Amino acid sequence: MTEIKKVAVLGAGVMGSGIAAHVANAGVPVVLLDIVPKGANDRSALAKGAIDRMLKQKPAPFMHKKNARLITPGNLEDDLSALADCDWICEAVLEDPTVKHDLYKRVEDVRKDGSIVTSNTSTIPLEKLVEGQSDRFAKDFAITHFFNPPRYMRLLEVVGGKATRPGALDALRQFGEVDLGKQVVVCHDTPGFIGNRIGIYWSFVAMSQAIELGLTVEEADSIVGRPLGIPKTGIFALGDLTGIDLAPHINASMLRLLPETDAFALEFNPKDTLGTLIGGMIEKGYTGRKGKGGFYRRTNEAGEKVREALDLTTGEYRPEQKANLGSARAGRKGLRAVVEHEDKGGQYAWAVLSKVLSYTAEHAADISDSIRDVDAAMRTGYAWKWGPFEQLDMLGPKWFAEKLKADGLPVPALIEKVGDGNFYREENGVAEYFTYDGSYAAVPVPDDAWQLADRKRGAEPIMRNGSASLWDVGDGVACLELHSKMNAIDNDTVAMFAKAAQIDKQGYKALIIGGDYDNFSVGANVGVVLFAANAAMWPVVDQGIGALQDALMKLKYAKFPVVAAVAGMALGGGCEIALHADVVQAHAESYMGLVEVGVGVIPAGGGCKELVTRWMTEKKRPGGPLPALSQAFETIATAKVGTSAAESRELKFLRRSDGITMNRDRLLADAKARALSMVDGYATPEPVVLNLPGATARAAMGLAVTSLVAQGKATAYDAVVAGELGQVLSGGDTDIVDEVTEKQLLSLERQAFLTLVKKTPTLDRIEHMLETGRPLRN
Amino acid sequence: MKNVVIAGYKRSALTPANRGELARVRPDETAAQVIKALVAETGVEPSDIEDLIMGCAFPEGEQGLNVARMVVFLAGLPQTVAGTTVNRFCGSSMQSIHMAAGAIQLGAGEAFICAGMESMTRVPMGGYNPMPHPGLYQEMPDAYIGMGETAENLARKYQIDRKAQQEVAVESHRKAAAAQAAGKFADEIVTIVDGKITVEADGCIRPDTSQETLDGLKPAFSADGSVTAGTSSPLTDGATAVLVTSEDYAKAHGLKMLARIKSVAVAGCAPEIMGIGPVPATQKALDRAGLKIGDIDIIELNEAFASQALAVIHDVGIDQSKMNLDGGAIALGHPLGATGARITGKAAALLQREGKQLALATQCIGGGQGIATVLEAV
Repeated sequence: MTEIKKVAVLGAGVMGSGIAAHVANAGVPVVLLDIVPKGANDRSALAKGAIDRMLKQKPAPFMHKKNARLITPGNLEDDLSALADCDWICEAVLEDPTVKHDLYKRVEDVRKDGSIVTSNTSTIPLEKLVEGQSDRFAKDFAITHFFNPPRYMRLLEVVGGKATRPGALDALRQFGEVDLGKQVVVCHDTPGFIGNRIGIYWSFVAMSQAIELGLTVEEADSIVGRPLGIPKTGIFALGDLTGIDLAPHINASMLRLLPETDAFALEFNPKDTLGTLIGGMIEKGYTGRKGKGGFYRRTNEAGEKVREALDLTTGEYRPEQKANLGSARAGRKGLRAVVEHEDKGGQYAWAVLSKVLSYTAEHAADISDSIRDVDAAMRTGYAWKWGPFEQLDMLGPKWFAEKLKADGLPVPALIEKVGDGNFYREENGVAEYFTYDGSYAAVPVPDDAWQLADRKRGAEPIMRNGSASLWDVGDGVACLELHSKMNAIDNDTVAMFAKAAQIDKQGYKALIIGGDYDNFSVGANVGVVLFAANAAMWPVVDQGIGALQDALMKLKYAKFPVVAAVAGMALGGGCEIALHADVVQAHAESYMGLVEVGVGVIPAGGGCKELVTRWMTEKKRPGGPLPALSQAFETIATAKVGTSAAESRELKFLRRSDGITMNRDRLLADAKARALSMVDGYATPEPVVLNLPGATARAAMGLAVTSLVAQGKATAYDAVVAGELGQVLSGGDTDIVDEVTEKQLLSLERQAFLTLVKKTPTLDRIEHMLETGRPLRN
Repeated sequence: MKNVVIAGYKRSALTPANRGELARVRPDETAAQVIKALVAETGVEPSDIEDLIMGCAFPEGEQGLNVARMVVFLAGLPQTVAGTTVNRFCGSSMQSIHMAAGAIQLGAGEAFICAGMESMTRVPMGGYNPMPHPGLYQEMPDAYIGMGETAENLARKYQIDRKAQQEVAVESHRKAAAAQAAGKFADEIVTIVDGKITVEADGCIRPDTSQETLDGLKPAFSADGSVTAGTSSPLTDGATAVLVTSEDYAKAHGLKMLARIKSVAVAGCAPEIMGIGPVPATQKALDRAGLKIGDIDIIELNEAFASQALAVIHDVGIDQSKMNLDGGAIALGHPLGATGARITGKAAALLQREGKQLALATQCIGGGQGIATVLEAV
C-alpha cells in the first residue's frame, strides 16, 4: 500500500487551497500549484495569494497559522517537477474534461511509480476522466470528493474505477481517515456520487414543495431544520449561505448525467415558479450572503437594521415573519409527530420526506455499497443528524410504506423488502444493518475506531451514578464516561473520579476518561454554585471545591496511567480534568480553555496550579519568573480558548507529549492504545515544587491590569477577579527563594474562589451566564 | 577647567519597532556600525578613546552583558578602550555625554564615544522580567506608572485638547518629511548593513499626517483620554553616537568641532507627570550657564508625547519656531536609550548648519525626571 507522506494539490481555487490547508493540518507537506496568470509579475501568484487569503479567512482553514508553512506554492508551468516525489496528487482544477485530460498527461510525465492521482470533481464520472489516458494512469487514478470547507466538512467520497488498483483506494482511505480525520465513504461512479445525488434532489424538493404547499421561507426553514435533524439554516437560509447562483450550474450538470427516468429529471423544470424565481434573483444580484442578499436579506432602511425575507409568491422582500407552526414544535416528540401533524408544516414535512426517502431507497444500491454509507454520507456531508435510513427507522419503514400507499405513491423495493423490520437492529448484543440483498449483516467495529457505544452494547457498567459511569473497554482498561447534561461536573461526577482513582484495586491497569459525547465537559455546574451562594451555604461551596481538587489530585497521582480523551469543548473544570491526566489524547478540532473569569471566578480545580506549573517548568522559556507567570496570567485572565488542539498546545493546555487524533471516531481507540503503552514501568508523576515571586509578581500583574482598565479593555471588576488570580499565580505569601507546593497552590485557588463567589458582581455574572449562555461584562 | 566639545554625531536610520527594517538587526550590531562610522569620519585616533559610554533604557537580552564593552569589540576598537553601559531610561545617552564631560573636566580622559541604543523590537519596553517592589507599588503606585498615563495626566492638568496635540504631530511630520526630502539627514545617517538587510532611511515619518488622518485614531492609553498612537512617539529601533572630547584635544588633532558644552543638568519631578521633567532640568542648566530661554537659538525638545511637549513649551516659554527644526520624536521615532545622544548631537549640528550661537537639548524621563544640555557655538 502506498504510504502518503507528501501531497500535491493542483488548482488553488477554493477547494484546492482548502484541501492543501487541511493536508497541512495533518502535518503533511503539500505542494500547491495553479496556472501562471496572464501578465503576472509573480508566476506563482495564484497559489501564494490563496495561502495569504486563507490565513485571514474565517472560519480558519488552518488549525494553526504555522501550518501554512507546510504548503509550498508554485505554478503548473515551472514547478511540475515538484510532483516527482509526491505520493498523492490531487487535482482540483476547472470542471472541464479537456483541461483535466491535458493536465493528467503532463502529470503522467513527472509522477513516480505507485503515486496516486485523484480528481476532486463533483460532476464528471470517473470513466470519462480516464478516457484516453494510459493504463498506468488508470490504475493509479481515483476520485476524492471533498466537501466545502474541507477542514470542517467530514465527508470524503472516494470513487474507484474498474482499473483502479485496490492498494490505491486503501491508501486513500487510510490517509483520509487517519491523517485527514475524514469520514471516508466509498461511492459508485454514478452522478453526484452519494451526497450530492441525494442532497441536490433534497434541495430541489424542499424548495419546490414549500412553494407548492404555500409555506413562507421562514416556515419552510422551521420544518426542514431542527425538527428533521437538519442544521437550523434549513433549506432557504442554506441556499443563501452556499450561493444561489451555484444552483443552476449544479442542477444542469446533474440533469446532463442523470437518466431521463430519474425523479429529479422528471420533476425539475427550470421554467416553473421556483426556476423563474431563482433566475430572477441571480439576475438582480441576489446570490445569497456573498451578494446583495438571498431568500433573506438585511436592509438598513431609515437607519434601522431590518431582516427581510423573500415572499415566494410575489418575489418581493417583506419584513421577516417568525414562523409559528405546531408541526415544528412537535419535533420534540420525534420525526413521526412532525409528519403526522395536520398543519401545512406537517404536510410539507411529509411531502419532503416521502419524496427524498423514497428516492434514496430507490437508488441506494446503485450509488453505494450499503445503507450505512448512504447514511454516513448525509450525516457528514450535509450535516444531517440522521441519515435517510435512520430516518426511515424513526418513522417505521412499515408505517412509511403504508402511508405511501395511502397517498397512491409507489413503495421502493428496498422498503418493501425490509417489511416489518428496521434498517438497523441489535441482535444478541450485535448491531446489524439491512443489506441490499435483503439480509442483515453485523456493523463492523474496527479495533482502531470503536465507539464507547460498541463496548456498552449488551454490557453492564463497572459502576454508575447519575452523572458518570465506569466501563470495561477490554485489555484491563477502564473508561470513565461522563453523562450529565453537557457533561457538567457535579458531586456525582466528582464521586466517580474518586472511585476511578482506585480502579486498580479491581484489577484494571489503566483508565481513559472519555465517551461518545459532543463535548468532553463544559466545566462545573455553575447553577449549583449559584444556588449555594444565594443561600450563603459557603461550607458547601468550599467542600465542593475541596472534593474536586482531591479527586483530580488522586487521578493525577493514581498508580496507573490516566489518559483523557478530549473532544468538543473541555472548558473550565472540563479543562482541569484534562490538565490532571498523565496524557491527553485530543481530537484535533477540540476546544480547550480555562474560562472561569467569564463567570467571575478563577479556576479552582487545580487549573491555575497546573498552568502555572507548565509555564514555570517549560525549559525553552526565557529566564526570570515573570515571562512564565504573565503567560499563565494572560491565558486565564482573558479566558483564552484554544480552538484546535494545535492552538491548545501553544496555550499549554496540551503538552508536547499529549497526542492529537484527527478523526473523532478513532479517539477512544487511540486513547486506550496510548494508556496501554504506558502501563509497563509506569511511575506516578513526581510532585512539583515551584519558586514563585509572591508580592513582586502581584505588583507586576497589577500594573498590567491597571493599564488595561484605563484603556477600557478590562472592567473594574475584571481587575478584582484578576487580582485574585494574581494572588494564586504569584504563589500567595511567598518569596522567590521559598518553595511552593501543589497543596499550597490548591489552597490559594480555593481561597480566591471563595472570596470571589461571595461578591455580588460574580453572582451577577453566573446568573447572566445561566440565563443567556453569554458572559456578562460588569 | 577644560572646555568640552562635541566633535561628531552619527546615527542609524530610525525605523518602527517590529515592522521596520531594523527589526531583524541586533541592536549591538547597529550601534557598532554607527560608532565605526563615527570614528572613521571624525578621524579620532581610536587608541586615544578613553571609554565607550553606552546609554540604554533596557540593558538586558541582546542589550545586556555590559553591551558597551561588547560594542567596543564589535566596532573594532582597540581593546584598550573601556566600555560602560548607563541607564537613565530615555535620558540614557544624554547622560553618557554628561558623564564624558565630567570625566574630561576631572582630567580622566580626553576622548569619549557617547552612544545610545535601543531595539524596542528585540527587548520589550519594561524588559523581560519586570519585578517591581511590591511595597513601593502599594505605597506609591505612580513610581511604576505607564508612560501613556503620564501623558494623559499632563493633557488634563494643562487642558491640552486633542486638536492641539495633533497639531504638534502634524508639524513634526511636516518638518521631518521636508528635511528628509531635502536630504538634510544625509550627513547624520549611517547605512546599516547586516547580511541581506540594508537600512538607509528613517522609517517612522508619515508625510501625509494631518488632523484628519489623526482624527480616526482611538485613545491609546485611556478609553476617555485624548492621547493616541499618532500623538505619541512610536516604538522605535535605532542607535546614535557622538564624539565628546576636550577642546584642546580636538584642536590638537584637527577634529571638526560642532559645539561646546556650556552647562548640563538633571532634575527630578513627580512620576505621574514625568513629561514635565525638562522644565526644572532646563531651568537649572540655563541658570548654570547664566542664560535665559530667550537667549537660546536652537532647541531640541524630545517629543515623547505631544501633550508633554506642549506642557514643557508652555512652562519654559519656548519659541516653537526655534524648536525641532528637522522634526521631533513623534515623526522621527524615539529609540529610548538612543534619543539623548541624537538630540544633543542634532542640536550641535544645527548650531553649525544654521550659524547660530546657543542651543538647548532636553528631554523627559520615565519615573519623573528631566535632563538638559546647553551648547554654544565654537
